[in-house]
Amino acid sequence: MKTSILIAIIVLADAAGDVFLTRGMKQVGEISTLNPRALLTIGGRVISNKSFLSAIFFIAITFFCFLIVLSWADLSLVFPAKSLVYVLSTLGAKFFLKETVSLQRWTGILLVCLGVALTSLS
Amino acid sequence: MTPTARRTSLRKTILVLVPAIFAQAAGNVLLSMTMKEIGSSHWLPLMPRAVESSALWFGTALLIVSFVLFASTLSWADLSFVVPAVSAEVVVNVVFANYFLQEVVSLTRWTGVLFISVGVILVLRSEREKARQESEEILRSGSP
Repeated sequence: MKTSILIAIIVLADAAGDVFLTRGMKQVGEISTLNPRALLTIGGRVISNKSFLSAIFFIAITFFCFLIVLSWADLSLVFPAKSLVYVLSTLGAKFFLKETVSLQRWTGILLVCLGVALTSLS
Repeated sequence: MTPTARRTSLRKTILVLVPAIFAQAAGNVLLSMTMKEIGSSHWLPLMPRAVESSALWFGTALLIVSFVLFASTLSWADLSFVVPAVSAEVVVNVVFANYFLQEVVSLTRWTGVLFISVGVILVLRSEREKARQESEEILRSGSP
């Protein structure tokens, strides 16, 4: 039960991190320069962006919960469960970021999710 | 986004994601190598040793580079494209372990690699398809 709750938190926080990160980066705008000074300005805008900071918060939660759950649960159980993030992040992209996700893309994402689960089983 | 812009941005996304994938794979290998050397039990008193290890710092630096590149691509590309594309890292890890470290990779793991590879190809194709559909829509509506 404790493990399931923590895994649920990990998956939700990881997907939320992805969605907030994307929103923050889209708010900052497309990075299309390699000029170091311009990149530094962009970096400053990124780290003061609220969505980006929320993303970092969720990423930190994911990281620490992952460490905590690994202190008693097996990696071969936690990792396959964690691959659900691919599906949840895509749902977040569709509903919160209004991305169009075609059937072909969904199929690809489900295969990736299954593949990641399989590679971590053995 | 115009179809041409989408095609150009697909090239740009791949160009930034490939080093991100390799940096992440190498970073993870370095970190797990260091942590395994130190051992999982009684890790707290051994933390100073981990902090002194240059492999740990290099691994962490690579993971930071990978995150910066990943976040950068999200400034123009779809999350539903970037997230599955980055999973190619698992394929790189398994192939590296088999080829360079001569680790025995189980059939289950190779099956997983195959699934991820097909999945990533489908996601890549879906992005190209998106560009094609958008250009058709523009042609149909008659605008340039």
